[in-house]
Amino acid sequence: MGCRIINHTNFMRILAIDTSCDETSSSVTDGLTVLSNVVWSQSKIHSKFGGVVPSTARREHERKISWVVEKSLKSSGSRYGSLGAVSVTVGPGLAIALGVGINFARTIAEKYNKPLIAVNHLESHILSVLAQNKNLKRSKKIHTYQPPSFGVVVSGGNTLLVYMKHVGNYQVLAQTIDDALGESLDKSARLLCLGYPGGAVLEKFAKQGSQNSYSLPLPMLGREGVGQYSYSGLKTAFARLVEDLKQKSVLSKTQICDLAASYQNTAFEHFIRVTQKAITKYGVHDTKYLFVGGGVAANVELRKRIRKMCKEISISPVFPYSKRLYGDNAAMVGIAANFKYQMGKFVKPEKVDRMPDLKIDQII
Amino acid sequence: MRTVKEKNIKIQDVVNILKSGGLVVYPTETVYGIGVSAVDNKAIEKLTKYKKRPIGKPYSIAVSDISMAKKYVTLNPAAENIYKTFLPGPVTVVSNGKHKLAKGVESETGTLGIRIPSYKLVTDIVNRFGSPITATSANASYKKRPYKIADILTNITEKQKSLIDLIIDAGTLPKNEPSTVIDTTYDEIAILRQGSVYIQNKNEILSRSPEETKNCAKELWQKYEKYTGKRAIVFALMGEMGSGKTIFTKGLAIAMGVDDLITSPTYNIVNNYQMKNSTNKFIHIDVWRINNTGEISDLNISQNINDRSVLAIEWADKIADTIRGFNEEAIVVWVKINNRKKVNERSIEWGVE
Repeated sequence: MGCRIINHTNFMRILAIDTSCDETSSSVTDGLTVLSNVVWSQSKIHSKFGGVVPSTARREHERKISWVVEKSLKSSGSRYGSLGAVSVTVGPGLAIALGVGINFARTIAEKYNKPLIAVNHLESHILSVLAQNKNLKRSKKIHTYQPPSFGVVVSGGNTLLVYMKHVGNYQVLAQTIDDALGESLDKSARLLCLGYPGGAVLEKFAKQGSQNSYSLPLPMLGREGVGQYSYSGLKTAFARLVEDLKQKSVLSKTQICDLAASYQNTAFEHFIRVTQKAITKYGVHDTKYLFVGGGVAANVELRKRIRKMCKEISISPVFPYSKRLYGDNAAMVGIAANFKYQMGKFVKPEKVDRMPDLKIDQII
Repeated sequence: MRTVKEKNIKIQDVVNILKSGGLVVYPTETVYGIGVSAVDNKAIEKLTKYKKRPIGKPYSIAVSDISMAKKYVTLNPAAENIYKTFLPGPVTVVSNGKHKLAKGVESETGTLGIRIPSYKLVTDIVNRFGSPITATSANASYKKRPYKIADILTNITEKQKSLIDLIIDAGTLPKNEPSTVIDTTYDEIAILRQGSVYIQNKNEILSRSPEETKNCAKELWQKYEKYTGKRAIVFALMGEMGSGKTIFTKGLAIAMGVDDLITSPTYNIVNNYQMKNSTNKFIHIDVWRINNTGEISDLNISQNINDRSVLAIEWADKIADTIRGFNEEAIVVWVKINNRKKVNERSIEWGVE
C-alpha cells in the first residue's frame, strides 16, 4: 500500500533534478515543503528567445546544470553532505536532455554516497499539487488531500487523466491519441504567426477576443466516452480557416484575437467534455479530488473551466500553490521522490538509465 | 540620481544623458523601463551591473518606428505583419539581428527583440536620440514589476541607485501586463531547408479522409515490408502543418504491427516503439522544432540506421541532406502530403529522390 500524505519536519532533504525537455531545473525539498526551486528556462532565456532548440537544449543543459544545482542548494541553505537523497527525472522526455540530468545526479550520489531515486516526470506533475510553501505556518501545512484521487497532466508533451488509487498506483482513464493540448495551443499560435512556443501568447490574445467569432469542429463529438483526447483534426481545421482568411486579407488584430479565443475555447471545451465523461464513467464514489498539474494548467481560463466541471461532479480540484510548479520544474520531482524515499524505493547509481518513453503506469 | 516629473522633462536633457552613457528610468504603456544607448558597449555593461542579470540574457530595445527597426533586424513577412498589426503597442517582436548593436543586446543566437512603445514621450526621446535604447523593465532581475518609482527604489541597493542617472516620474502607471513577446524567427524554415526534394517516378494517390491516409500508408508499408531487419527503411514525410503526417505514421505503425498508441513526437522529438513478435524497432521523429543543422547528429539517426530500424521522419525536408546521406545504407522513401481544395482531401505522393 502507498503511504498517507503527511508533512512534518523530520524528513530528509532531497535534491531533485529535472532536464526532461527544455528546462534545466533543480530543487531542494524537505518532505512536501519546497525549500528552493530553480528553473532555468531556455524558452525564456534565449532572447528572450531565439528558440527552444532541442539539440542545443542538451548543450544548454550541460552548460547550466552545475549553476542551477548550486543555486538550489545555496538558496535552500543545504550542502551536498546534508542531503538525505538525490532524485532525478528518468522519463518520459527528450532522451539527449534526460541524460544530462541523470549523469549529474548519478555523479553526486556516488561522490557523496547518497541514495538515488528515479522519478517519473508524469507522476511528479500530478503530485506537484501536494507541494507546500515553506513560508506557510506549520499548523497550516497539514492538508487532507488523501487518495484515492483523479489526476490530470496537461502540458506540451502530455494530456492525460488517471485514477490514483494511492501514490504510485495509476490507472489511465483518458489520454491523447495524437497531439497534446499544450502542443495544440502552441501550434495554433504558430499558425497565427505568434511564434513558438506560443501557448502563453495565445492566451494573452484570446483574452481580448470573442470565443464565438469562428466556429471550429469540436473533436470526438458524441464519442467523448471513449477516453480519448484528440487535437490533430482541430489543428487541421484551424490551419484551413486561417489560410482562407489570409487569402482575403492580412489578419487584423481583432481577427487574431478572435481566432485565438475561438481556438482556445474549442480546445478547452473538448478537454473538459472528455475529462468529465471519463470521470463520471469511472465513477466518483469516494474520490474527493482532482489533482491538476502541467504547464497548460497555468492558463487561467482552463483552470476556471476545470473548477466549474468539478463543481458539477462534486469533486474538488487541487492546483499547485505557485505558478512555478505548473511548467516543468524540479520541486515536483522532489515531492514524488519523497514518497519513494518513504517506501525505500531506490536505484543503484550504475543502473539508473534514461527512459524517454516511460508511461505513467510503468514501474521504473 | 535625479528625479524629474514627466511634465517638467526636457527631451534634449534626456538625450544628452543617453549620449554620455547614462541610465534613464522612463514610463511606458506597460511598466517603467530602463534605457541606455543600445549601441554603447559601456552603457550596456553599466545596465547589466544595475540589473544584476545572469550573463547571456539579451535586452530588447525600443525604436521609434519600423524604418529604424529595419536598420537592426531583418523583417520577414510574418514580422512585417505583426509590426503593422500590433505596433506601436505592448508587443515585443523577435527577429534575426544585423549585429549592429552593443555586445550583449542581441541573444547568443543573434536574435533581437524590438518594441515600439505606444507612449509618446519614449518614441520622442528615441527619435531625437536617433538610435535605439534598451527597453528592459526597470526592476532588478527577479524583483517586483515596477508600476511606480517606489517599486524600483525599495528593491535595489544604494549601489544600484548610484548607477541611475535620471528618473522620469509619471506617477503610478495603470497595471498593464509587460509586453507580449512574439518570436518570428521560427518562420524562417529556409535557414534549415537543405534544398528542395524532387521525387522521381512518383506515385500519387488521392485520400479523402484520415482513414484513407492511414490505408495508403499501410499499402506503402506492404511494398517495403520485405526489407525489414535487412536494411533500415526511412519514410521521409513532408507536408504542411495539419496535412496528416502523424496520421500517416499511425497507418505505418499499425501495418508493421506496433501495438502502442502513436502520438505526436513534436515535444519529445523522438519516440521509440517495438514491433510485435520481432526485435525490430520503429522510430518516430519530428524535426519541426530543430533549428540548427549542426546538431541533428544529437538525434542519433545514424545509430537507428545501423540497427536497421524503420524510421518515420516528419518535416524531413528540413534535414533533407542528412537523410540523403543515408541513401547507401537505407531505403529512403520520400512521402509528400499535399492539401487540396476540399478540407479532408489530400494528394499523397511517394517515391525515391
